[in-house]
Amino acid sequence: MAILVTKNSNVMIQGITGGAGKFHSGRMIEYGTNIVGGVTPGKGGQEINGRPVFDTVAECVEKTGADVSAIFLPARFVMEAAIEAIRAGIKFLVVIPEHIPIHDMLYVRREAIAHGTTVIGGNTAGIISPGQANLGIMPDIAFTPGRVGTVSRSGSITYYVADTLTRSGYGETTCVGLGGDPILGSTFDEILLKFEDDPDTKAVVMSGEIGGVYEEKACEVIPDMKTPVLAMIGGVFAPPGKRMGHAGAIVEGKMGTAKEKLEMLADAGAHACKTFNDIPATLKKLGV
Amino acid sequence: MRLYEFEGKQLFKKFRIPIPDSRLATTPDEVFSAVNELGTAVAVKSQVLTGGRGKAGGIKLADGANEARTAAEGLFKLKIKNFPVERVLIEPKLDIKQEYYLGVTIDRANYTLVVIASGEGGVDIEETAAKNPDKIFKKELRIDQDLFGFDAIDIAKKIGIPSALLKNAAPIIVNLYNMFRKYDAKLVEINPLVLTADDQLIAADARVSLDDDAVFRHPELKELGIEMRHEEGEMSPREQQATEWGIPYLDLDGNIGMFPGGAGFGIMGNDFIHYYGGEPANFMDSGGGPSPERIAKMLVLLDENPNVDAIFGARFGGISRCDDFATGVIMFLKDHGLSKPLVMRMTGNMWQEGVRMFAKAKEENPELFKLVEAHGIETPIEEISKRAVELAQQAKGGK
Repeated sequence: MAILVTKNSNVMIQGITGGAGKFHSGRMIEYGTNIVGGVTPGKGGQEINGRPVFDTVAECVEKTGADVSAIFLPARFVMEAAIEAIRAGIKFLVVIPEHIPIHDMLYVRREAIAHGTTVIGGNTAGIISPGQANLGIMPDIAFTPGRVGTVSRSGSITYYVADTLTRSGYGETTCVGLGGDPILGSTFDEILLKFEDDPDTKAVVMSGEIGGVYEEKACEVIPDMKTPVLAMIGGVFAPPGKRMGHAGAIVEGKMGTAKEKLEMLADAGAHACKTFNDIPATLKKLGV
Repeated sequence: MRLYEFEGKQLFKKFRIPIPDSRLATTPDEVFSAVNELGTAVAVKSQVLTGGRGKAGGIKLADGANEARTAAEGLFKLKIKNFPVERVLIEPKLDIKQEYYLGVTIDRANYTLVVIASGEGGVDIEETAAKNPDKIFKKELRIDQDLFGFDAIDIAKKIGIPSALLKNAAPIIVNLYNMFRKYDAKLVEINPLVLTADDQLIAADARVSLDDDAVFRHPELKELGIEMRHEEGEMSPREQQATEWGIPYLDLDGNIGMFPGGAGFGIMGNDFIHYYGGEPANFMDSGGGPSPERIAKMLVLLDENPNVDAIFGARFGGISRCDDFATGVIMFLKDHGLSKPLVMRMTGNMWQEGVRMFAKAKEENPELFKLVEAHGIETPIEEISKRAVELAQQAKGGK
């Protein structure tokens, strides 16, 4: 199995007529992703990569049965596109563009919660269930079907982790990019729980970064998980970052350094890894 | 994007949050004439894009224009956390009866807006939050929720604003919240909100930080003279150059030049170098899909840096292509030459093509490539990190 996207997902691309939408939907189709159509207002009736284009998400859902969408649009159009998709019944939404206004993502998150939709991104490389579906901009070369799940803030780290799992013979069930923007559609804890429910995922590698609070939130669910969690955090030697200021510090407490995040995750029961090489070594030790 | 105090107060004024009458000055003489307009007892406040200004001696009280001018002469020579003082704000000295704290920010863990208030305003609000959290009042709202007058009355009451002034305090809180939403803010703070001896509530300071990614939809900011700015204080000449080229770059203390792909491995790659006993000379991010020209510019920053003894390159082609990456490196070698050993690895999108391009270019011009070791997917990134540390040690030993 896989989480969030499989070979049976009916995938739609919002912004399919744009440069990135056209190029990457072609790549995804080549991979075997079941892309059923796309949406660009004003361009309904066209075809891109052999798939029909519609003016609205509702039409695309009605005509093609789309249930998953990926957004390839400039950041300023993301909020409306996302809310349109969520209200049209899309249950899993991937937001590729970066630099989405923070307040916009707060609106998207509110709408997603109201409709039970899972959103990942913005600023994500996407999600891939190797051998089944690739939704985003990840290079297929790093991935192979297998039994470990990954979830990461950064695209490049996702590739390195998967590359490591692939070479060491584990392979991946699904690799999820949370994204690098300050406000994200989903957090580590939410994705970890989805892996926990997947019987084929025998372990999860999560890789976080200095800054933000999402790694800390993962510590709330890890102690209750049966699936082992391996954790990497980038920025152990990074020079101290900037903070938002007084109010931010009051709300979020001391902004976690990478070292503190790793210690906190280890206390919660995660297995800390320093380099990619530590991942297969740890999996072996755990008997995965 | 952080705003200067005087800019934040311009926004306060638009939202009918009371601020002191004030003047902005860029020379001691301007300070002198400002004091003559405002009255004798004033505060001269340096305008910098960083906190801790009071503790750093960036605020001077003065009685009279001459004293203010002398104070300003000192302030204009001051650097606060690497920020030179280029402007000062002059305000009448307030007769303070009580100081409060008011702020609005985003709770990223809960996806809410948070109104924060305290009866203990002043510089050490962070310490109050840490030591006496019960002295801090918080109200969380969703982005689509309004803050009403009665909510604000409740907040004002909880932080001890006298009953007779609740009706004056409520609009300040509501308007601060509305300003936060209207301008796509990340943080707005009034610290302190001052209760004066004659029972006026007045915003004595303004700390405002807006979302860079939403500035495009507030053209009115430009009309107020508020434009995008960098907030790093003074940059090194190399950081300045990188900024002009649009490359995220930071100088560090080590001797291994970091030439990575995305920001994620830009950060983690520096950790790897440390794990294998080396010290990075910089942090850098290529950004998604860099052009060959951009790749070449990244290498200029490393090759021309006298602190760099060896260069560590890593490219995992995702949205970008390894052949574009190779084209950029080869272009750089031909135009510029390379004076430092470079070890790098390519994998991902079009990596074989990239490796082939290097092999071919090396065959044509071995001299140009004598310092380059290019690897493909077969060599783990850990090995490349180790090799970079070795090369840097050898280069240092040979110096």
